Amino acid sequence: MADKPMTGQAFFVLTALADSPLHGYGIVREVAELSQERVKLKIGSLYGVLDRLAADGLIEPDREEAHDGRLRRYYRLTRDGRRALAAEAELRAATARIVRARLGLTGAEATG
Amino acid sequence: MSGSLDLEQRYRRVLRLLPGYYRDKWEQDMVAAFLDSWPTRGPEEDEYITKAARPSWAEIASVAGLAVRLYLGGAGTPHRYFAWGQAVRRAVLAVTLLQAVRGLDMLVRTAWSRHMLGWLPAPPASMVPATPAGILPPVAWYLVAYAWIVSLVALVLGHYRTAQVIAALAIVPDLVWLLQGEFIGAFRGPSVGPWAFWVLINLAPVLAMAAFHRDAPSAARWPWLLALPAGYLVVAMPPLAIQASGNSVWIPDFSGLYCLLVALACLALAPRARSRRSAGSGLWSLALTLLAADAGAYRIFSLTDYLHNPHLIDVSLGELLILAAAVALVLPNATRAQTATPAPPPRPHPG
Repeated sequence: MADKPMTGQAFFVLTALADSPLHGYGIVREVAELSQERVKLKIGSLYGVLDRLAADGLIEPDREEAHDGRLRRYYRLTRDGRRALAAEAELRAATARIVRARLGLTGAEATG
Repeated sequence: MSGSLDLEQRYRRVLRLLPGYYRDKWEQDMVAAFLDSWPTRGPEEDEYITKAARPSWAEIASVAGLAVRLYLGGAGTPHRYFAWGQAVRRAVLAVTLLQAVRGLDMLVRTAWSRHMLGWLPAPPASMVPATPAGILPPVAWYLVAYAWIVSLVALVLGHYRTAQVIAALAIVPDLVWLLQGEFIGAFRGPSVGPWAFWVLINLAPVLAMAAFHRDAPSAARWPWLLALPAGYLVVAMPPLAIQASGNSVWIPDFSGLYCLLVALACLALAPRARSRRSAGSGLWSLALTLLAADAGAYRIFSLTDYLHNPHLIDVSLGELLILAAAVALVLPNATRAQTATPAPPPRPHPG
């Protein structure tokens, strides 16, 4: 069966974890910042995505830290997760290059 | 009492919507993330928030959405939830197919009555489809007929959101007609039957389309696509032929037809269900049990249409009896299916 494309939410979650491990709400904040507030993950949606990514072996628990009397679990990318994120980023970049070329945009126009 | 709960307990109560296996794995994490989402503003305000704040409707909706996806499971969920997910998906496809066959029947009759099938003689007046009277123009009802066909094709091709939106729009004219009828008092008797149709045959499959989510395995494409013309030939053509021959009295109403079709499907599956040899028969048994519950409920509610006619009441009860006897043949297999379903397929995608 052909792979389905990665969802936007999964892409942002993996990107949020690319620098360093984060806990659940840390991922929500990072995704909001990365997407310039366009993607606001609800907790139910976040754990749906985390569950899928963990089952696919793309993320794994990193450590647990106590905070305000409760444990925060941190997650990190696995090697497969890093590879999947790089492949998806490459695919999106290639698509963006095609779009820019078809619209006749230069780099400055595209970012401006 | 919710008043004595603190914020953490309120979140835990919302999370009870999720299946136990999922809560064991993620509840602590989710509660921590929910509580982290409240900014710290000082001891007094924090204490007030802990006592008075409640989960927002958006948060509850996101957990409820996750719960639906998990209970009607797809790839990677425990067998029991995968079995329920597959059974609901098959039942939804079956009801959508039935609606699409009705739509196709209406379009064929309309084309025939407007002499678009030139090689056929003009149909008798009794066979010309009449669109319901009311504020909606006839074109709205033709669009409904098309919409169910498009919704079925979209579901089978994996365009789940499109299918759900189209089906949701397709049930609006019926609702408008019902509300208008209630408002102007157009129903001569009780309107339980028409409302039951709207809830059980229109609304229920649209809501149950939530089972078609990202993790749901694709439906078998060709069998379901071919089922539309086959269903038309098997389900709609015989009544058409009987009606053309002037013996309309032998044609069951839609509720009776629904009961008899489900009963026939149960009888066809019964040998496989009893032999336990076919791994997939359990899921079909469960799907047919759900369909039988839907058809039976509609038959019971629509009995109110025949309160003036004891003969039709007897016929309807006979249809119910046939349905009950047929579903009893597959019920044990349906029960077993929840524990003995074949393993769900692996996830086909990352994320």
